[in-house]
Amino acid sequence: MTSATAAPGRAAQRGTGPPDEQDHRPDPARPRRAAGRVPLWLAAPAIVSLLVTAAYPAVAGIALAFTDSSLARPLREFAGFDNFVAAAESVAFGGSLLRSALFAVLATALSVTAGVAAALALHARGGRFGLLGAVLLLPMVTPPVSVGVAWKLLLAPVGGAFTGLWDALGISGFNPLGSGPGAFSTLVLIHAWQWTPLVTLLVFAALLGVPAELREAAALDGAGWWQTLRSVVAPVVAPTVVAAAMLELVLAFKVFDLVAVVTAGGPGVSTILASFEVFRTAFRGSFEVGTAAAETLVLGLLVGLVLAAVGLLARRVPGSDE
Amino acid sequence: MTSVPTLRALVSRGLLAVAAMLAVLPVLFLVSLSLRGTDDVQNGGWLPERLLWANWPAAFETVPLARMLANSWLVAVGATLLTAVIAVPTAYVTARAGRRGKRLYSVLLAAYCAPPVVAVLPLYFLLKSVDLTNSTIGLALVNGLANVPVAVWLLDGFVRRVPVEVEEAAWVDGLSVASGLRRIVFPLITPGLVAASLVCFFLAYNEFLFAVSFSQSAASQTLTVGLSLFQGDRTVQFGQQAAASLVAIVPVYVLAVLAQRSLVAGLSQGAVK
Repeated sequence: MTSATAAPGRAAQRGTGPPDEQDHRPDPARPRRAAGRVPLWLAAPAIVSLLVTAAYPAVAGIALAFTDSSLARPLREFAGFDNFVAAAESVAFGGSLLRSALFAVLATALSVTAGVAAALALHARGGRFGLLGAVLLLPMVTPPVSVGVAWKLLLAPVGGAFTGLWDALGISGFNPLGSGPGAFSTLVLIHAWQWTPLVTLLVFAALLGVPAELREAAALDGAGWWQTLRSVVAPVVAPTVVAAAMLELVLAFKVFDLVAVVTAGGPGVSTILASFEVFRTAFRGSFEVGTAAAETLVLGLLVGLVLAAVGLLARRVPGSDE
Repeated sequence: MTSVPTLRALVSRGLLAVAAMLAVLPVLFLVSLSLRGTDDVQNGGWLPERLLWANWPAAFETVPLARMLANSWLVAVGATLLTAVIAVPTAYVTARAGRRGKRLYSVLLAAYCAPPVVAVLPLYFLLKSVDLTNSTIGLALVNGLANVPVAVWLLDGFVRRVPVEVEEAAWVDGLSVASGLRRIVFPLITPGLVAASLVCFFLAYNEFLFAVSFSQSAASQTLTVGLSLFQGDRTVQFGQQAAASLVAIVPVYVLAVLAQRSLVAGLSQGAVK
C-alpha cells in the first residue's frame, strides 16, 4: 500500500483538488527549506501511539510466544518453541492460515472487480457521485456485527428472505451456511458486499482525473469504448486500482467480526479464519495464551510476506513506481 | 455521451440499479423483520403481514441496549477526539518534513496493515496492568491510538494541498511553525479533518474485536458486543434481534447521509494520490 498511495507526484495533481504548485516548481531549495523548519516533536504523539499499538505488541508478542503464560499470570517461565509446536499441532491453526489467504484473495478479487465496474457505471452517468453514490457507500459504514446479523437472518432456512426463491428452485430449506464450502463462500460474499464501496469511491475519484482532451482525442481517432478504456482510462486509474486492491487485502486479512457472528467458525472448522483462531485460542476454552501468541507471530509474518510480495508486484504497474 | 441512451448506458444504469438494491436490501429486510411477530417471521416473505411494534421495546429489555448505545458513543467520540488531536500535527509532519515525514508515513501505514488480533493479547495485559479493562476509557484509548494511521493517511493529502508559500510568508513575519500550523494550515484542512474524523468515528463505533476482548462487563459493553451476545441466546426472536441491529445501524446511517458530501470529498481527495 505504501508504494502506491504514498506516491504524491503526478497522480495527486490529476486529482480534483487545486493544483499543488510546490511540486511543479523547479526550485529544489523551496521544499527543503520548509522541510528543515518543521519541528519533528509535532509527531511525538504519533510515535507514542506507534510504540503502544505496534512496537510494544510486537515485543510482548515475541516474549509471550516463547514463554508459558496465562491470562492471569503472563510470562511465567521460558518455554522454548513449545508454543510453536502446540500451534502447529492445533486442529485449526494451519488450515486457518490457508483459509485466511484464500479468503483475502477471493474477497479482494470480487470487491475490486465489482467496485471498478460500479465506478465506471457511476462515472458514465456524469461526473457527480450524488445520492446514488451515497446509497452505494452505506454497506461500508454498517457495523460488521449488524451486517453479520442481517445476512444471517436473510439467509435463514426458516424465516429467511429467500425461502420462496429456494422453493421455486426446488431446493426447499436450502441453507448456504449448512456446508463448509457454502459457509466459506457466503462469508466471502458478505465481506465483499461490505467493502466493494471503498473501491467504487476511490476508483470513481481517480476516473475524474482522466483528462477530457485525451478522451476526445481518442473519440476523434475512432477509438471504441473498450479501446478508450484500455489505452486512455486504464493508465490513469491503474495506480488507484492497485492501491485499492492492497487496501482490500489488508481489510480481508483483518476479518474477525463476520466469522464470530455469522458462523462462529463452523460448520466444523471450515470458516475458522486466522484472526478468529487466535482469538479462540487466547480467550475461549483453555485460554492458551502462549500458543495464541505463537500463532499471532506466524500470522503477522504471513500477512507481512503476502503484502510485501503484492507490493513488489504492484510496482510493475506503470504510475505507481515509488 | 449522446442524448439518446445507448445500449451501454442502459446496461450501466441497470448495473447501478442492481447495485443500489443490493446495498440496501439486507438492512431493509432487518426493518421488515423488526416489525413482525414470530409467526409472521416464520411464514417467510419480504413484507410484514401485520405491523407489530413490540419487538423494539422488547429488544431494549432483553439486553441493556440503551446502556450499550451510550457506551458505544462514549468510546467512539473519545477515540475520535484522541485520533484527531494526534493525527493533525502528525499529518503536518508527514506532508511537510521531507524524507523523514515520508518515512513516518510509511511506518504508520505498515503498522496499520497488521491484523489487529496480533495486538490483542499484549494490549490486554497492558490495559489490565493499568486497570483499564472493562472500561470505556480503556477502549476509547486503544481505538483512538489504533486509528491514527487512517486519519494521517487521509489528512496528509489535505496538508500537501495547502500552498507552502502562505506559511513561508507568515514565518517571515515572525510566526512560529507550530502557530502557522494552528492559524494557517488548520483552518484550510478542516474539510479533511471532518471527513477523517467521521471515518475514525465509524471505525471506533463499529469495532468489535477489541471491544469483545477488553470489555466484557455489562457496565462497559458496547453495542457490537451486545449484538453478538444476542446471537448466542437461542430463545431470542428474529424480530428483536433485527430491532437491536437497527439500533446500532441507524446512528451511523444518519451521520453518513447527513455528512455524505464531506465524507465523499474527504475520502476521495485525501486518499487518491
